[in-house]
Amino acid sequence: MTNLTTIVSVAGASFAASFVEAVEALTIVLAVGLARGWRPALTGAAAALAALALIVAALGPLLGAIPIRALQFIVGVLLLMFGLRWLRKAILRTIGVIALHDEDAAFQRETRELTAAERRQARGLDWIAGVTAFKAVLLEGIEVVFIVIAVGAARGLLGLASVGALAACVLVTVIGAAIHRPLARVPENALKFAVGVMLSAFGLFWTGESLGVDWPGGDAAILAFAALFLGVAAVLVVLLKPQLAEHA
Amino acid sequence: MMGAIVAQLIGLFVDDEFLATAILAAVAVAGALALSAAAPAWVAGLLLTLALPAALAASVVRSAWRASRETTGG
Repeated sequence: MTNLTTIVSVAGASFAASFVEAVEALTIVLAVGLARGWRPALTGAAAALAALALIVAALGPLLGAIPIRALQFIVGVLLLMFGLRWLRKAILRTIGVIALHDEDAAFQRETRELTAAERRQARGLDWIAGVTAFKAVLLEGIEVVFIVIAVGAARGLLGLASVGALAACVLVTVIGAAIHRPLARVPENALKFAVGVMLSAFGLFWTGESLGVDWPGGDAAILAFAALFLGVAAVLVVLLKPQLAEHA
Repeated sequence: MMGAIVAQLIGLFVDDEFLATAILAAVAVAGALALSAAAPAWVAGLLLTLALPAALAASVVRSAWRASRETTGG
């Protein structure tokens, strides 16, 4: 049975994760657009969206053919690998082991690379710029599609997860179109921290359920798992950050 | 370009080999317990609940320790 906890968790996780991915894609498309013009940027982005639509159209019907237990297991394990990887990186960024993701820096880097390419070869540069935008939107888009499937499919809430993801992508696109700058002020690591916690909690819940575990509290166990992962992450930050600061 | 895309797709799930291996090992052991009926299903659930946060902690501590050694030149 689907309760409010599940609905809020699915829509929230899908929105937050897609928001982060959309911000990263926007940075590259903006860099391409401002460095090389909007035609290759928008053509590349549109081609990637078309490719994504094809992928979804091809894979969508397959999901219905997979037994729910098998789907929960596959999605659960992939979510664990995806979510714990995000959470690990968010913790390492918080304690200073790896650098924070900086949208301004990513924007400058991409612009520099396109300018360097311009010096090397003038011809075919629109092609390179278009491919850059295509690759960014396709890769971030695949992550969004995976997140939507992962948080929505195992409970038959694909529509709800899609609405969350679509709202995030539309919001980022509207803001990006309005300000024409990377969304550098978005607290990306905090969002990734929260999303990593939620995706890991979903992964643990569905992997267990697919193995026949009857979790106490039903769907509410997802929140308990989120609290568990958040607690472990917080303890790691509190213990490791001062030690690393001492050695720095 | 396709090779780069495939490599990045794999990278979505596998970043630290230790963590990826630990997750798969925990799921494999829990799955074996649950499917063989060697133990009640809740034991598999408990195993996952303990092993996965532990795997995360071990992976983070390893990376932090490695970074700290590199900083001090040890």
